Amino acid sequence: MLEANTLSKFYGSVPAVREVNFRLEPGQVLGYLGPNGSGKSTTVKMLTGLLEPTRGEVLYRHENINKDLSAYRRHLGYVPEEANLYPYLTGEEYLDMVATLRSMPDAKRHHRIQSLLELFSLHPHRHVTIGNYSKGMRQRILVIAALMDNPDVLILDEPFSGLDVTSSLVLKSLIQSLSRKGKAVFFCSHVLEVVEKVCSQLIILRKGHVIAYGPATEVVAKIGQSSLEGTFLQLVEDRDVSQIAADIAEVIAAA
Amino acid sequence: MNAQQQPASDTGRVGISPGSSIAPTESRSWSLSNFCKTPFGCLLNLFLMRMFQGSSDSSSDEFNLGVGVILTVLAIPGLFISLLMFEKYGTFIQFLRGAPPLDPFVAAIPDEYFFLVLSVVVTGAATLWRWDAIFLDRRDYANLVPLPVPLKTLFAANFSAVFILAGVFAIVVNAASIILFPIVVVGSQSSLTLLFRFAAGHAVEILIASVFSFFAVFAIAGALMSVLPAQLFRRVSLLVRFIIAIGLLLLLATVFTVPDLLEHSKASVIKTLVELPPVSFLGIARTVWGRGNEPFVAHMTAAALLALAATIAIATISYGLSFRRVFLRTPEVSDAGALPRLHFSLLLFPFIGKWILRSPPKRACFNFALSTLLRSEAHLQTVLAFAALGLVAAAESLNSPQGIKSLITAAHPTIEFLAVPFILSYTLIAGIRFAFEMPAELRANWIFLMWFPGDGRDTRPIARRVIHTLTTSWLVPATWVVTLRFFSPTEAVIHAAILFACNAVFVEILLSNFRKIPFTCSYPAFESHSGIVLVAYLFGFLLLTEYIPELEHWSIADPIRTLVFLPLLAAPIAGVHLYRSQLLAMDKSLIFEDAPSSTL
Repeated sequence: MLEANTLSKFYGSVPAVREVNFRLEPGQVLGYLGPNGSGKSTTVKMLTGLLEPTRGEVLYRHENINKDLSAYRRHLGYVPEEANLYPYLTGEEYLDMVATLRSMPDAKRHHRIQSLLELFSLHPHRHVTIGNYSKGMRQRILVIAALMDNPDVLILDEPFSGLDVTSSLVLKSLIQSLSRKGKAVFFCSHVLEVVEKVCSQLIILRKGHVIAYGPATEVVAKIGQSSLEGTFLQLVEDRDVSQIAADIAEVIAAA
Repeated sequence: MNAQQQPASDTGRVGISPGSSIAPTESRSWSLSNFCKTPFGCLLNLFLMRMFQGSSDSSSDEFNLGVGVILTVLAIPGLFISLLMFEKYGTFIQFLRGAPPLDPFVAAIPDEYFFLVLSVVVTGAATLWRWDAIFLDRRDYANLVPLPVPLKTLFAANFSAVFILAGVFAIVVNAASIILFPIVVVGSQSSLTLLFRFAAGHAVEILIASVFSFFAVFAIAGALMSVLPAQLFRRVSLLVRFIIAIGLLLLLATVFTVPDLLEHSKASVIKTLVELPPVSFLGIARTVWGRGNEPFVAHMTAAALLALAATIAIATISYGLSFRRVFLRTPEVSDAGALPRLHFSLLLFPFIGKWILRSPPKRACFNFALSTLLRSEAHLQTVLAFAALGLVAAAESLNSPQGIKSLITAAHPTIEFLAVPFILSYTLIAGIRFAFEMPAELRANWIFLMWFPGDGRDTRPIARRVIHTLTTSWLVPATWVVTLRFFSPTEAVIHAAILFACNAVFVEILLSNFRKIPFTCSYPAFESHSGIVLVAYLFGFLLLTEYIPELEHWSIADPIRTLVFLPLLAAPIAGVHLYRSQLLAMDKSLIFEDAPSSTL
């Protein structure tokens, strides 16, 4: 359904992403992991068509997405890394605007917005401007905006950021349930426990390179670790994290 | 999957034909609500809201006025000036004065120029104020580009919003004078045709001037955006706005001189002058009034229309270029990171703080306050606006009929010369004090709430030192050097000393009930005495920039007379001490937020 072919991005001569290849099929949840600055967000921007690759291409149903971006985006739900919303719009107004821009029919739009606001516990605050929302409330608005037009592909960049426990559990179950309904989910996160639970496929990125790709269980088994956390640390971190923690404690305690 | 999302199966291509996303799903008759439900209408609505309401992330951090208040503020200068004109043109008043009947088309020229300048200045200032909200920004990119909306729709919607904003500004700024000024000038004459002709000329002229002003500022912003790298543009944009603001204030200062120049200068000078905007716009009204065959009028009209067309063309081109060059490259710029910051300007502050403040928490607040003032755009913009006012007022003070040379070649410093540092000090100090009331980032307040150990009394020394570091520390030595360059060492010392003492007293008065860490409190509520405070500021300006220089001029003639300043300056200091000693402890306690939390 969604494919990245030798996807690369250079800023001048500085490489951000190099030769990323993957294939995301309906019903799959692809976890995209990497430390800060490894190129995750750059990849996400290329997958959403916000950034043009220096080399390679993104294919949706075997067509380059840049051939008809608007049409591709109609099938796409996207939760960006930052909840940079319009502070002077209310939650309901924002969702209504997104629905209008997605050309959702009036009847469907109203019903869906109200239902989703209710299910995400935002209905009592629907007339409050987003400037007054907490981080978690803004994040929930972003999730609703991504889901409300029933997209085939979901690109989630740190979707759990700021969510409370209940909302996180709901979203986790929702991702699994959407994948069962045939949606393709591209999922960027630093929360390894969630990735381990919801992702069927895994890509681990380091300095713009893919260093591991495959079914999640296979990747973990191949590295010889018992958990994703151990696998991740072994692949991307040169330093011993326990030692770093001990050093920090020592610096703090020093006179 | 719904029908809209169904791929075009016959070609194997994804999705739907271009443009279908903006087509309405069913045929409807046109209405505003239906229009707002189209992607274009929805975006147009969104961009207009942004232009009027700003785009700050935190509702409490930005001083957002409602649309009604903004429009009222813009309309007030024209209304006020128009009402004042009754005194000049009222036939009864003319009769009482025994003045001969006026030819309105001749007598109104200086006032026409005044309204032209007012129109240009108010519209230009409003455009400067909305500078950041006019162009599509990072937030628009993040929210709108990932949606299935063609870029051309985004472009067209924002550009349409810009034109609507220009129209709204032009109408609101000039509405009062379009109606009132013709009535004031020719309302007493019995010809309705005359009234309408005069009104038409006046209206066309000032509306065009407003539109010209809007697009001139817009063109400058767009051109800079198109030429400069995005990060550099953000840095220089504040400086450019400051320069434009000074230009607008200087233009305002020409309202009394230009009509006089037009009347009394040589033909060659007039010919050059009339081709410059906004003087050339006078030609439009005269053409509409049927006086197009007067000398220079055709030149003026042609120059005005050419200036308008050129400005709109440049604005359009630069907008298009900036859209391509900046907006569409937003993600690349954010990923590539910012340019390295120039830190050298702030290197000195920790050193100064260590020297003038003993307590580490106070030093931390001092460094925070200085960094905020110099790095936060909103705060720097406010201080620069006051500085621009000061510079123009100082330039006006130096603009004596005998020329600037006469001020520095006199035997003793003149009053105008002496007034300059007082004007600059007053406006800068008042600007910084005003900026202290503007919150920087209330959500970051917790750090002071948790760890600032002092009370309200501890914040006054911080505020005092910040103000003096940014004003007195350089203004007093500069005043001494400049005075010494042209006058005697004694006069230089006296002038610098009096400036120093006056600054100290003025700062003490301004901080008499200050009990906040600068920038950490929400905006103060409007109180019943706010009007009195404003009047007090105006009175203070008059006192410090008119009477003190006069007194200083008198005392410089015989240095012993400078002793008169001792009781004069000691009295307000004693008053402040008395006032503070009578304050209750609760009125001296440190405050952070007197508004409800911004987060639910």
